[in-house]
Amino acid sequence: MRPLTVRRLLWTCGGLALLLLASVVLALKLGAVPVSVTDLVLDLGRIAIGRADQLPSEYRLIVFDLRLPRILLGILVGAALSVAGASFQALLRNPLADPYVLGVSSGAALGSILALIIAPRFALITPLGALIGAIATIAGVYFLSRRDGQLDSTTLLLAGIICASFFSAIILFLMTTLAGRDLRGMAFWLMGDLSTPVTPAIQWIFTVGLVVGIGAIYSTSADLNLMLTGEREAIHLGVDVTRVKLVVYVCASLLTALAVSASGAIGYVGLLVPHVVRLIFGSDYRLLIPASALCGAIAIVLADTLARTIVSPTELPVGAMTAMAGAPVFIYLLRRGLR
Amino acid sequence: MGFDFQLRAPYRVNSKSERRRFAEFCAGIILLLLISCPASIAAQSGATPAKIPGGREVTDELGRKLRLPREVDRVVSLAPNLTEIVFALGDGNHLAGDTDYCDYPPEALQKPHVGGTVNPNLEEVAALMPEVILATSINRRETVNALDRVGLPVFITDPHSVDEMIATVEHIGSALAVEKSAAALAAGLRARLAEIDRRLAGSAPRRVLFVVWTDPLISVGRDTFIADALRRAGGRSVVDTSAEWPHVSLEEIVRLQPEVLVFASAHAGETQRDIEALRARPGWKSLEAIERGKVVVVSDAINRPAPRMVDAVEQLARALHPDAFAAALAPSADSDSARSHSSTSDLIRFESRTEEACACDR
Repeated sequence: MRPLTVRRLLWTCGGLALLLLASVVLALKLGAVPVSVTDLVLDLGRIAIGRADQLPSEYRLIVFDLRLPRILLGILVGAALSVAGASFQALLRNPLADPYVLGVSSGAALGSILALIIAPRFALITPLGALIGAIATIAGVYFLSRRDGQLDSTTLLLAGIICASFFSAIILFLMTTLAGRDLRGMAFWLMGDLSTPVTPAIQWIFTVGLVVGIGAIYSTSADLNLMLTGEREAIHLGVDVTRVKLVVYVCASLLTALAVSASGAIGYVGLLVPHVVRLIFGSDYRLLIPASALCGAIAIVLADTLARTIVSPTELPVGAMTAMAGAPVFIYLLRRGLR
Repeated sequence: MGFDFQLRAPYRVNSKSERRRFAEFCAGIILLLLISCPASIAAQSGATPAKIPGGREVTDELGRKLRLPREVDRVVSLAPNLTEIVFALGDGNHLAGDTDYCDYPPEALQKPHVGGTVNPNLEEVAALMPEVILATSINRRETVNALDRVGLPVFITDPHSVDEMIATVEHIGSALAVEKSAAALAAGLRARLAEIDRRLAGSAPRRVLFVVWTDPLISVGRDTFIADALRRAGGRSVVDTSAEWPHVSLEEIVRLQPEVLVFASAHAGETQRDIEALRARPGWKSLEAIERGKVVVVSDAINRPAPRMVDAVEQLARALHPDAFAAALAPSADSDSARSHSSTSDLIRFESRTEEACACDR
């Protein structure tokens, strides 16, 4: 494998960004109202130069007020989950690590449900609760698995799995005992669902959180590369391992919390996308993190387009699509990797 | 594990300039994301509720104020009971779309469907260009919020009892500007309920178990409209809980020993086979009601807060208190109804005759 150069990094990310753009156009095209690609490109141009008023209102309502925000949310969620998965895998040096396995997603889901029960009227409460839940979970899992000041990866994974099932049980308990209008949609939400667009304010928070989270993780990518050889080796090479771990844990939890509060628990993306990226582009984190973000976004946009159209007019939760598509791909990659 | 975290590329210590270029690239990504966000917000904030000249203001059952046109020509219903109400108001020709579950009246099946009740396709809803969207408590709050945000008017109903269902009929009538037929329909329904109340006055309520589902056993809580329909029909649910659709333990039901089990079904024959199967099952066979065949299969209209629910209440009242309605039946039927609870097969016969009787009444 060639060493990573800036030229290769830019070409790869540029190519992936074009792929993402293509999948966004495809996602915009497919749906209840069919749209031709030429019209779409023209209209996107019109919106870009601020002349959205010229579009027919019904068409603008469907394609740009309903479909586009959902696709953009999918991009944010996919990027957040994939980068969180890639970071957890690097920290734990375990290819099975991902926000779901570590219990962070369940913690975030429990946090947002509790927040909804406590203050259902306050719009920003869900992401806040999810963030508290995610950080509390990762801290709890982290301290559970510390032995003599050392972090044991196996214990960490076990602690994560146990926390995840414990939180799922509590969520089930809350959903069974508390009857209420707000919790009724929760079962759907727990499967991972993008069908309800978030408010602009929340979308801003997501975007800022995503940029900060991914940026901070990206700033440690050279250190993460060294840590892949082993923590002790990394310390000898001059890496401040404690600081890198703290930054990556907090940022990855933040990304997971944002994704879960926006769309519920979408599985397999955080696990699978970094693996695919690693198989194709190699495991240099300086390339892996931006490529994972872009591929995660592509994966979610395509999965959600399928979820919207496959049994139209009814919608599937996007989490069902990612699991259905993700599990076989994962097994295929696993077999190919073994050979 | 097949793919270890090997360093495929030899790690190279970055030169200063390369680090700077990485930083620049990072900034590039941030810029890209920042550009994508305002575009979405611009697209979202562009949606404002259409100003309707000469419109009128209506208030829905959650107290939200909506502006609707003077005459409503395009309605989308997000629940089967709302579809039934629209048709019962004689306004079915203005129904532009309904859900996959809207199966009554048969004309509802011909309408364009917008998906399920919990997960309707918002694009399909918008594509129908509705002037008003009818929603109820089975729809998710998120769905309503999303429709609100793009400026489509949603009229929310929230009936929890038979009386509230009739009030909902009137409210929908005012939303759709068909107040007259709504008032006539509501008056008719209230008169029929008053007649049931008159006949049941003095009869002690039967202790019933309403079976929503057998595996697992799910019944109804006290605040549901089904529990209210049971009360109006002279029954009282043995399950008394604030949960809406409680899972109930069979042990508890065996301890409570309800007098009558009530099932709801559109297909009495199928339910009959299910009940026969229950007779052989442990737990269920220890229920006296099952053993003695005190099982009522009521029309599945009881599941929907719509005008047909009153039919179901009438039917159930007749099945639970045959004596109170004896005068309404032909004299030859009296001897039959006296022993109608002796076996399940008799009961079904009794039930089918009740429906005929209902038809005669009207």
